[in-house]
Amino acid sequence: MYDVVDFLLNTQLGLNSPDWVVMLISHLVVVGMLFAVAPLQVLFLTYYERRAIARMQDRVGPNRVGYEGLLQPVADGVKMFTKEDIVPDSADKIVHLLAPIVAAAPVLYMFAVLPWGPNMIAVDLPTGLLFFFAISSISTVGLLMAGWASNNKFALLGAMRAVAQVVSYEIPALLSLLFAVMFAGSMSLMAIVEAQGGLFISTTDVPSVPDLGLGWFVFTPVGFLAFVCFFIAALAEGERTPFDIPEADSEIVAGYMTEYSGMKFAMFYLAQYILNFLLCAITATIFFGGWQGPGVAWLVSQSLSADNPAGNPVYNVLAGMLGTFYLLAKTYMFFFVMVALRGAFPRLRIDQLMNFGWKFLIPLTMINILSAALWIAITRWGTAQGFGIIEFAGEPGNLVRWVIAFAVTLVINVAAYWFLARLNVQDHAARQAALTAGGLAVSPPRSA
Amino acid sequence: MITTDELQINIGPQHPSTHGVFRMLLTVDGETVVHLEPVFGYLHRNHEQLAEVNTYLQNMPYTDRLDYFNSMANNHAYALAVEKLAGIEVPERAEYIRVLMVELTRILNHAGALGFMINDMGAWQTPLAFGIREREKILDLFELVSGARMMCNYFRFGGVVRDIPDEFIPRMKKLMIAMPAYMDELERLLRENEILLARSEGIGILPREVAVSYGVTGPVLRGSGIAYDIRKAEPYSIYDRFDFDVPVGSVGDVYDRFLVRIEEMRQSRRILEQIIEQLPDASGGHINPKARQNVRPPVGDAYARVESPKGELGFYLVSDGGTKPYRYKVRAPSFINLTPLGDMCRGYKVADIVVILGSIDIVMGEVDR
Repeated sequence: MYDVVDFLLNTQLGLNSPDWVVMLISHLVVVGMLFAVAPLQVLFLTYYERRAIARMQDRVGPNRVGYEGLLQPVADGVKMFTKEDIVPDSADKIVHLLAPIVAAAPVLYMFAVLPWGPNMIAVDLPTGLLFFFAISSISTVGLLMAGWASNNKFALLGAMRAVAQVVSYEIPALLSLLFAVMFAGSMSLMAIVEAQGGLFISTTDVPSVPDLGLGWFVFTPVGFLAFVCFFIAALAEGERTPFDIPEADSEIVAGYMTEYSGMKFAMFYLAQYILNFLLCAITATIFFGGWQGPGVAWLVSQSLSADNPAGNPVYNVLAGMLGTFYLLAKTYMFFFVMVALRGAFPRLRIDQLMNFGWKFLIPLTMINILSAALWIAITRWGTAQGFGIIEFAGEPGNLVRWVIAFAVTLVINVAAYWFLARLNVQDHAARQAALTAGGLAVSPPRSA
Repeated sequence: MITTDELQINIGPQHPSTHGVFRMLLTVDGETVVHLEPVFGYLHRNHEQLAEVNTYLQNMPYTDRLDYFNSMANNHAYALAVEKLAGIEVPERAEYIRVLMVELTRILNHAGALGFMINDMGAWQTPLAFGIREREKILDLFELVSGARMMCNYFRFGGVVRDIPDEFIPRMKKLMIAMPAYMDELERLLRENEILLARSEGIGILPREVAVSYGVTGPVLRGSGIAYDIRKAEPYSIYDRFDFDVPVGSVGDVYDRFLVRIEEMRQSRRILEQIIEQLPDASGGHINPKARQNVRPPVGDAYARVESPKGELGFYLVSDGGTKPYRYKVRAPSFINLTPLGDMCRGYKVADIVVILGSIDIVMGEVDR
């Protein structure tokens, strides 16, 4: 953005603006775009979800307001605004007011570190990934505040569940993302996306490979396992089915949102949908190359930048548009998976959720980190570093090293999955056995 | 050691998954249920007392409103009681039509009940939509014969209101061809879904002794492993002419009740097939004995019971020789089946309660009369 603004102001219009003006304008443009885009995204997401689920249920879904119901979210928004704001008499008024703000505000910050396209990022923090998840956990405080301040038992139960769930699923989520930091050597989300250019084997730094933007981490066994673990954890973190336990409407009415109405309720709703959108976007960014895709690299190479003063700024814009398109396409794909899961599955119980997280997901992600280390060791280290396997293979090419790494990590990950799955199944069988020992036998009904 | 306090929660009377106006007074320790007391009566509308100031026939539409999912079965039980009291014979064809309607009712009730149960587990309405979709098709048939979809008011003492129209049987045959597919689909939903299994296996166990001591009937009792079905135990109407099996569970958990209902739907379809084969043609006698509509039964009392989709539905009538019942009592299966809820829920998690309640399959219109 800086380059484009600089080009327009100084080269085209000849204003000779100082550096800080260019910087300020480019940042304002980015921030303005982000905060205009975020709520619009959410508006569309609700419509998208309702139509998709309606399809699954043999219904049509909202199709009355505007063309094919596209304005339905706007109508909903207007309704939300005009609703009476009810605060229970016995509620803690101040905390009750603050809770939706605490829940919604941090989520908007998360947009700041999300790379939308090449050089299109509000703040390229060197610790972007850490920031992303650190900020997302603050939202949980808002949920607890809401549950506590409402002075409602359902709300309290919901808040307790929300905190327990989010806290235990942050761990596998972050553990599964560690591999990306190791692969890219940076916590900056931009660096992680850039590391996914080229083809699959580009992690071995092959210069001759054409940059098709397909070197996605998900194509490695390490990345794939991490992707599966992270997406499950993301469902729990975004409180999506089958982990929508904190707001289980059939059990505890609406969880921590029970006593909220009008715009305060809308704030929770907004926060949740933005969080879900961002979790999908971060999945796309870390595992599926974010804005990377065929053509982006070529457009970037033609565009104007400090290294390439002869480039055409049109290509900057085109590269940004294509990158954003790739990112959004991937994000919406993942959001569709979330929607489809919601349409298909019932929810787990809170203790089953905890068991799954602590006994299955966390060990699996930890083993995955070991795999990630091995992958890096095998693909990056040459004989100079004295790594045994490589010496044995005798100065192999990058492709051979890639294949060896693929095979080794695949074996480790499949074995880990198989072992843990078996452990948990045995656990299940043991419980069934205890049931049988109590004089009961589990079997399908027989006709008498 | 952290000391914990027990928390009392009122689930209901206004709650998304209490299937009506029903309250569960819940004591929990964290998420674990320590004590549960079902509280009902919020929907009391003086049904039984009201029946004593109406004539026998005037009560027929009121029985529709008991269990509004199965108005046909309610009609049947009431008609049987009055016929027993007044000694009215039912023509052959009318008997077949009655059983046909009741078995269709059983299928639609179970399809809906299973959908609602999975909905209580948190599936966002998709299984419910599937169940309701099949139910709607059967309701279309009811509309065809009685003019109403839910409050059919189709039975009369000594027959039914009118004969089935000509297009009824072809339409029903078409519907029956599609039935096995969605019954299998519903079964696969449970048997092949890990989450559903985790939520239903070993949950809400009702041991057979407890079930018997509470007087539980219907799929809940059969899920606990007792093959008690009034259609077999004390065949009424013409059930002794049909060949069908009574499915039973073995543990008495939510899973068993689910499977029992699926199997019952299949057995109902078997009965329907036999009815289509055996149905006598309309020349065999009238179905709507108009002369008998205002009955004046002799002094005495009668109890008639049917296997409604939810369990034993009985009507007890006392006649003083007048045109109105002197005493009118309903033995509602939902009510009796709901009483052991506290025993079934103790020790399970809050999230399990709604699933257990859904697996009992209650309709509040019948629980509170």
